[in-house]
Amino acid sequence: MKILIIDDEPDIRTYLMAALEDSGYETFAVKENEPATEAIKAYQPDLIILDIMMPKQSGISIYKELRSKPQFSNIPVAIISGMLPGKGFKTEFKKLINDNTISFPEGFIEKPFQLSTLIELVGNLLK
Amino acid sequence: MNIPPYLEKWMGKNLFSVVPMAIAVINPEYDLVYANKAFELLFGEWENRKCYKVYKHRDSVCRNCKGSETFKDGISRVNKEVGYNKNGRLTSYTNHTIPVVDDNGDIPFLIEMATDVTETEQIKKEHQLLFDQVPCSIFILDRNFRIVKTNKKIRNTFGDTIGMHCYKVLKGLEEKCVECTAMQTFTDGQMHTGHHLWQSGTGQPGTEEQINSHVTTVPIRMEDGDVDLVMEMAVDITQTIKLEDELKVAYTFMESMIEASLDGVIAMDANDSVMIFNHAAKKIFQVSDNKKITRKEIKSMLPEEFLAQISAGQGHVYFPETEVYSINSEKIPVRLIGLRISVEDKSMGTAITIQDLREIKQLENEKLEAERLAAVGQTVAGLAHGIKNLITGLEGGMYMLNTGMKKSRLDRIQEGMEMLDRNIVRVATFVKAFLSFSKGREIKVNLSDPVRIAKEVVMLYSQRARELGIKLINEESGSISPALMDSEGIHECLTNLVGNAIDACNMSEAGKGQHVVVRTIEKDNVIIYEVVDDGCGMDYELKQKVFTNFFTTKGLGGTGLGLLMTKKIIHEHGGKIDLESESGKGTTFRILLSRSRLPKKS
Repeated sequence: MKILIIDDEPDIRTYLMAALEDSGYETFAVKENEPATEAIKAYQPDLIILDIMMPKQSGISIYKELRSKPQFSNIPVAIISGMLPGKGFKTEFKKLINDNTISFPEGFIEKPFQLSTLIELVGNLLK
Repeated sequence: MNIPPYLEKWMGKNLFSVVPMAIAVINPEYDLVYANKAFELLFGEWENRKCYKVYKHRDSVCRNCKGSETFKDGISRVNKEVGYNKNGRLTSYTNHTIPVVDDNGDIPFLIEMATDVTETEQIKKEHQLLFDQVPCSIFILDRNFRIVKTNKKIRNTFGDTIGMHCYKVLKGLEEKCVECTAMQTFTDGQMHTGHHLWQSGTGQPGTEEQINSHVTTVPIRMEDGDVDLVMEMAVDITQTIKLEDELKVAYTFMESMIEASLDGVIAMDANDSVMIFNHAAKKIFQVSDNKKITRKEIKSMLPEEFLAQISAGQGHVYFPETEVYSINSEKIPVRLIGLRISVEDKSMGTAITIQDLREIKQLENEKLEAERLAAVGQTVAGLAHGIKNLITGLEGGMYMLNTGMKKSRLDRIQEGMEMLDRNIVRVATFVKAFLSFSKGREIKVNLSDPVRIAKEVVMLYSQRARELGIKLINEESGSISPALMDSEGIHECLTNLVGNAIDACNMSEAGKGQHVVVRTIEKDNVIIYEVVDDGCGMDYELKQKVFTNFFTTKGLGGTGLGLLMTKKIIHEHGGKIDLESESGKGTTFRILLSRSRLPKKS
């Protein structure tokens, strides 16, 4: 099972990759300044873990793009963010998306997270 | 008395020719046989002419000839005649016809004595015309208050009223008015005036109209001095009264508006006497309600320059933010508008409105405080976000360290240590920046050159820009005079904005983002700084976040406090900051500092 991590923080990328690999997943991270869609096409992930607040391109616009293109829209997405609250996530996310036709992401993890919660969520999403 | 013979002789001989009355002698054939000097002056040549030819330019005897009657009956007559004078003009004259009786009792001659009354007649006619046509009502009353004579205006309004009682005609009353102006004149023979309400169209419903009349009664004296008649002249003042009433209403309305106004209103007349000093003005200047304000006191209250500009008549004089002194010499922040009122270049006085800014100032301070608190709130929220990332980083480091040790993987241990180090440094940077922000810095105002601050910031970044291949340009336009501002604070703002602009250029795709322009301009007393870059720009979400959140796009490099700090400093200068940005095209940040709102010297 392949997981693509999109996050601008190198430390968080390293952490997520190490932790997920330790749980038996194959991971690939998109570095800064790399277009995410190119990576998805090349890597064909089973799950995408996506950060929201990034300097080059916000996670929101990446998410909109993924959901608007048929070749990506079937890939489950887990949002990982310190900006959005765990409670009321849907409302806040809806405000940011500002588009009723776009469906909600399959998972959400609030930073900081319990590693076990992350692993469990990823496990569920990849069943 | 004995008449001396020489006088009798003179009168017989000369009187005829020197008497200032035209005298002629006519025989029964109507020939003018003799006439005096005055006759010749009035009627011209007479010798060998018939009287009707001379008097009336006729060729035969006049009908109703009075002379022929006197020849027959020997009775003297007086007649009013109209004939022609020597210049051929129609002339009115009074003619006395007297028979000359001879010793036999016959009448061989008549003497005719004519007085020219043309002028008198003319005056009479003019008088009648005046009486009739003058655009006011005139009538004459007798002692029983019966109307004897009316002019046209009275006839047009009330119809034929001769012989009727004035009170019946004018007011529809059955007896004399209680306050009768004519009565007063009948009583004392003096002129009197009064105000009467007349009712035209009395008796016919729907035609009634009230006429407010200002009447004057004058006595018409008989020869014995008694007043038998009174002339009453009336002017219709209905319109005047209506206008007066309207004016009174308008004035009362305006007066209550001024009195109720929340702004102070002061008005002075052309002699600088204080006419209006309304309730709000009294409140602002702490003047008790019944005190009269003098020009001198006004001078001590308002700024000299303001009054000078009004007197110079430079249209509206507007002082958006200034100070006045109350009567107790307390300084009060106000907005002043003054105007010299003139009508066709003639000064009518001065009007001044005063807006009390104390409450607004208070609200402004409260708003600034609220904004500061909101900023602190945002900072705390943003800080939480930052800390969440830091904790995640720290946890990541711990995870790498732990799993590295368990699995005896040195690379993981190494990586974990580095992650811990990095994130601990970040925590320290964060906390420092946060403390500096929340503590704030004391604002230090001094007279500073706005252009120089921009120049210094550009110098500061010039090397870094050069290294990154970015052109950093300082642009000034026109001269900008020094302003009271916290130069260090503004320096910090521009440092933040220029730093951001350079970062934005650095983050943009290759070949793009090569220019940063710092522009200092002044327009309408507003000092404007613009920091323009053609770097990566911002999309909609980012633009919404830049000021409102503790926000950074720079990962480890930023604290997310720069723009918040900038906004705070600009607010402390009473200024505004806004931005225009388009993703991929660049960003312009604009700081607007209105001179009138800059802080006062500390």
